[in-house]
Amino acid sequence: MATTPDQQKSKRYVGTLVGQSTSQEFRLAVAHETIREQDIIAVDAELRRPEDNTAPEKIRVWAKVQRIERLNPLFPAEAGHELAATHTDPFETVLSLSREMVTAVCQVLGAEPLAGSAKGKLDHVRYPPQPASSAYRPDSKDIARVVLGELQQKEKRGLDIATLSNRPEVDVKVDGHAIVTRHLAILAMTGAGKSWAARRIIEQLAAKNYPIVIFDPHGDYTGLANVPSLKERVRRYYAQFPVFEQAPETVVAVVEGLGWNLANTHRSMFDDFFQGANAFISGAPEELKKRTNWLSNYLGNEKIAYYGLKPNLFFLADFVQAVVQAGGREDGDALNQIVEWSGREQLRIKRQVAGWLEGLPNNLRVAAKRLRQMEEISKRVAQASEPLPLDRTQLVRYGGISVVALAGYTGDFQATIYSLVADEIFTARVSDNLRLPVLFLLEEAHNFAPARAEMAAEQRSITTTRQIAQEGRKFGVGLILISQRPSRLDETTLSQCNSYIIMRMVNPADQNYVRRVIETLGEDEARILPDLDVGEAILSGQLINFPVLVRMKPPESKGEREERDAFESLEEIQASLTNAARR
Amino acid sequence: MNQENAQERRLTEDGVREDLQRQPHLFVKLAENALAVAESLRNNYFKNTTHFVTALRKAMQAASQGKRSDPPLTVCKIDGADWATFQGEVVTFIDGGVGRVQISSQAPILLRVGSYCVRTGERRLAERERFGYYPVILGDLEGGNKERKDFPDIVRITAELLGGLSALERTPDLRVLMFHGPLVYLMGGYAGHTPFSERDIDLFLHQYQPVAELGRQLKEDFLHEAQLDIYPRMVPESADEWVKRRVFEPLSWIAYLYRRLIREAHQRKPVPIIAGVVERGELREFSEKVLLERVFRGLRVKGNADYFNQMYGRSDLTSPKALLDRLGYTDTLLLSMLLQPGEFSEPWEIGKYDGLSQGNVSLPGEARTGIVDFAPLKPGKIGFPRICGCYVHVSETTEPVRVEVFSELGPEQIVEAARRTYLYARLLPGYGFPVGLDIADKYAHVPAWLTDAYSKLIQYHLGVSLQRGEISDAEMRRVLVQAIYMTHRDWLFRPKT
Ligand SMILES: Nc1ncnc2c1ncn2[C@@H]1O[C@H](COP(=O)(O)OP(=O)(O)OP(=O)(O)O)[C@@H](O)[C@H]1O
Ligand SMILES: [Mg+2]
Repeated sequence: MATTPDQQKSKRYVGTLVGQSTSQEFRLAVAHETIREQDIIAVDAELRRPEDNTAPEKIRVWAKVQRIERLNPLFPAEAGHELAATHTDPFETVLSLSREMVTAVCQVLGAEPLAGSAKGKLDHVRYPPQPASSAYRPDSKDIARVVLGELQQKEKRGLDIATLSNRPEVDVKVDGHAIVTRHLAILAMTGAGKSWAARRIIEQLAAKNYPIVIFDPHGDYTGLANVPSLKERVRRYYAQFPVFEQAPETVVAVVEGLGWNLANTHRSMFDDFFQGANAFISGAPEELKKRTNWLSNYLGNEKIAYYGLKPNLFFLADFVQAVVQAGGREDGDALNQIVEWSGREQLRIKRQVAGWLEGLPNNLRVAAKRLRQMEEISKRVAQASEPLPLDRTQLVRYGGISVVALAGYTGDFQATIYSLVADEIFTARVSDNLRLPVLFLLEEAHNFAPARAEMAAEQRSITTTRQIAQEGRKFGVGLILISQRPSRLDETTLSQCNSYIIMRMVNPADQNYVRRVIETLGEDEARILPDLDVGEAILSGQLINFPVLVRMKPPESKGEREERDAFESLEEIQASLTNAARR
Repeated sequence: MNQENAQERRLTEDGVREDLQRQPHLFVKLAENALAVAESLRNNYFKNTTHFVTALRKAMQAASQGKRSDPPLTVCKIDGADWATFQGEVVTFIDGGVGRVQISSQAPILLRVGSYCVRTGERRLAERERFGYYPVILGDLEGGNKERKDFPDIVRITAELLGGLSALERTPDLRVLMFHGPLVYLMGGYAGHTPFSERDIDLFLHQYQPVAELGRQLKEDFLHEAQLDIYPRMVPESADEWVKRRVFEPLSWIAYLYRRLIREAHQRKPVPIIAGVVERGELREFSEKVLLERVFRGLRVKGNADYFNQMYGRSDLTSPKALLDRLGYTDTLLLSMLLQPGEFSEPWEIGKYDGLSQGNVSLPGEARTGIVDFAPLKPGKIGFPRICGCYVHVSETTEPVRVEVFSELGPEQIVEAARRTYLYARLLPGYGFPVGLDIADKYAHVPAWLTDAYSKLIQYHLGVSLQRGEISDAEMRRVLVQAIYMTHRDWLFRPKT
């Protein structure tokens, strides 16, 4: 049986406008269970223009259900207490239990001509919709159109990342341009689906060849390379801590952090050792070979000649040891050699000084070992054999995704590595040495832009991140910040983001912070954050026409940390061990 | 303190004083009275009141123990008032309110009567409760003297009564019909309004009678009686004209509706309990006609007629009326002090019709007035029913409420009404008033526009009614829409150009 348009509309009827309505908000009397918070609804209205006598214009006012109030105004609280005190079942009394009132408070999103708008942009409503009008649930395709808004003219910018939570048949596309140029923050408690959301976005951006550099502290992005279409584009790098690119104080701090504290004499000489070693290792290849052999011989350590010199803490330890040995033996030749190659007269040390310095090489080696351990973990998690290139701009490639694996490193190392890389790329963009734009993705962004910096490394990375957040737009450097502790994020940085994906969040401090910093997030949206499902999100800001509640589409890629059943994997391991033993 | 000691202490002046201090509403009232009475009475007002109450309590106690035969007051315990006893009962609560909509004038334009019908123990919500809501737009009526302050009252009384009648007629198993307020008002004060036109009555009936035929019948039955008995006795000269013009003199029409209600109730088995429950009553009739009458008689018997004059050091406290006039005691005040929670006072017949005498009345649309005799409306064939009342004390923190029933429906009415009043009111111990009436009141009460929760309910309900097209009268719709959506910026209602 065919239904007329009017019949269809009555089937989709959700409620009647009651009470005072304004051009921002109205209330709907609704039947029980017919409507949910964040539903998108519409009311048809007539707009009469005061100045002329033309027929009134028919418009459709779009609105979103912000909250639903249930109230039984006929049930006095006092009676409730009395029932409880006397263990009386309310049904046995004359109390009224049936009159529950359900009111939906709706926020007006905008209006369009009923005939359908071509441009997709909603006009401001400057006149409240008429009380006693009916509200209805619009067609999926109309909703999709309104959610898309102006983006339908700029199809190329759209990223297909979600569906409407309350209307799964409606796809939600967001503005990729806004994300790559004006920064995006993905905020949610742990396990809410941040990394999944981020991977979905990365996959969508990669399809548009946008250069992306991911700072990945947990290996969440290793799986990107396993997606067939991305295989050739993803490069994973393990990070080395570039000792000789640091200021000497930083290295002192690193050594003290990983080994033990330096004695005063060690500290006062450290600068000279560090600069000297740096000069020592900076020779041309032929020259370097000569120096390597000399050092190997002098220390009686064949491994040095065998492996060659690397600019790391092991080398620094060997170098210091050579100086201490030469000084201790009052070996003038060796000291001359060292001073010549290091360009440091100060390294011509007395025997007594050499005695004081005896413990230093060992301390450096302990720190070096720990550092190497972190590097190993980083390599493993990244499943990468490639170290970070010395020219960091190589990370930025057309259609390329570079994953900088930071797993294994402690927070301050991660921050240091990040700020070195990001700084260099940003500087290259500013000086135009790098032509391609780039998008940085920072997982655990609160480590890279913490609200309070405790260590120098953090201070440096805040400066870097803030600068990119504030000026990145001018230079084509975008940020995606991901954090499970938004309240620990630097406020300046967060408030520079123009787009937000906010997912389940139960910590009240985080909710309040988010509500305060993000202007586009309404109170009612903030209120539902603790009730969101895993994978559900509120999109807000420039990436979308108006804030909507969505379910993120899953990414194609898998992360390293995707939870496996602990007991199942134990059994698998045991089975493989038994197999191996049998063979 | 154990039960016995507590009872004993009630009979001492210290005990009475403690009781008074524990009941803020009483204490405040006494303090107000103390300021209002003559200066010579003021100083010992509290002390003397305590003294008097102690004496009364002692006399009541002695009588209840058989130690004396002439108690000043008999009180009864409310027995078996628990929900288990009253399961499966259908109860309807009726309450009317006057609407003052903030438009140009302050005069009320809208009157609402709400009804709430519930079956105790019913768990299916759809079966359990029924709400009715009947608005009357005062401006639509041709009858009644609109300039009189009691005009809305007379309309409300009519509307509430019709609400009750239709509830009874619609509900074959109705067990209790409870009104908010007196079951019958002191009708003398309402005499003299211009009769309603037939059109007015149709407006009323439109709301109440789902079956048009019943409404028509009600009208015809009244007019028939009016022709035969009522108008000839009230307006012997103009009875023919009144009948010809089919006008409904408000008081006789109301009296008729009462008789109709009682007749309908009489036909049911068991006879439904019909009661009105009054809060904050100002009546002192019980004190004057029953309580103090007996006190004074007892004093005369004992040769102690000057008791009060001696106590207060005066000479004019010689009759119950004089005593009440001078000391400002009311029924609720005295009975708060004499009844304990869970008790009710002996019933008495309330004189409701003393003021019914002659008055001037004009017909709708006419300035000319004629004399009408209202005395025939005193209880009798065409008159109002006799009313019997008692006071029920619900909780220590609230004043006793007055329960009124029709004497004609039998002596059990007052006891049964008191039991239920007590039980229903126990759910609101801080208010001490039947919760069902509170519900009907909230449902019908005029909301503080657009602010409180109840207004939302009314808006909701009317919004839905409008939406469903249940209110078809165009003018009614307009006024209701106006009432519901009234705001300071009433842009909606600018005349359409
Ligand atoms: N859109 C989604 N649809 C269905 N399931 C999802 C979705 N997003 C996430 N999940 C589920 O939730 C799990 C956790 O997601 P994810 O790793 O993205 O969370 P996270 O917020 O990044 O957590 P953490 O703070 O620990 O990094 C996923 O393994 C997946 O099972
Ligand atoms: Mg994650």
